Amino acid sequence: MELTDADLVARVLVDDDQHAFGELVRRHQSSVRGLLRQLARSDFALADDLAQETFLRAYKNVRSFRGEARFSTWLYRIAYNCFREHARRRKELVGIDEEQLQSEHDPQVADPGLRYDLMHALSLLPLPERTAILLCCQNGLSHDEAARVLEIPLGTVKTNVLRGREKLKKMLTAWGPD
Amino acid sequence: MDEQRQEDWLDRQLREAVSYIDDEGFTAQVLKRLPARRPGRRPLRAVILLGVTVLASAIAYFISGGGRFVILNVERLAMLPVLWLFAIALGSGLLVTTLGLFAAISKTSDLQS
Repeated sequence: MELTDADLVARVLVDDDQHAFGELVRRHQSSVRGLLRQLARSDFALADDLAQETFLRAYKNVRSFRGEARFSTWLYRIAYNCFREHARRRKELVGIDEEQLQSEHDPQVADPGLRYDLMHALSLLPLPERTAILLCCQNGLSHDEAARVLEIPLGTVKTNVLRGREKLKKMLTAWGPD
Repeated sequence: MDEQRQEDWLDRQLREAVSYIDDEGFTAQVLKRLPARRPGRRPLRAVILLGVTVLASAIAYFISGGGRFVILNVERLAMLPVLWLFAIALGSGLLVTTLGLFAAISKTSDLQS
């Protein structure tokens, strides 16, 4: 019988069980690191540092997780805040470092083709649209959950998703369905 | 129609672009950086539980007039036929064993998962 995230969180809360927290990290590391890799425009080292920071913050603040949202949604919110703080410090919220993108892109999307173009197109979107697309279209969050993660109104999330999708469709016209 | 097809296509591509990232020591690194476990929580819990049990027993003892009900029931048991006594002992034993087994099985499956 596999323990649910809520069971594991309860063990961390009651017994300060670090093995239970380790299981939570194992379960969610891929999605959190994936989100941060795309937010950080494929800077893997930075994304992994931020992912570690995300899980450390989650451990320290696990008491503030009230179980109203999914544990993964709560983690995305921490991850996004980590990224935003870092970006604010480095003033990376605007502009695209094209050279860095070329040199450090994901080997799995390095092949010329649709996947690379999709990732490239995503990286060209403004941060609010990119984040909304990543959360809602890639990670399966509802608009409402994404609004809670990003701490913005629901309407803004819907607009950002809509605008982001329109831009992606335009950028990927050549690859579209026949 | 074309618009819908394009939307579906884009959604599919976005979902398929997500690949699983292998752990490769990531979890171990996070666990290494966790702050040390808060000491003294388990002993405190044990002390609280023991204290509450002692307090509840004392209250029950005084409310029941010095535990007279225990003596009365022991006397009543002593007057029962031997066969009845045997049945009660066997039933109690079976009940405790079953509960213990359930607890052990549930704990083991938790640990295995």
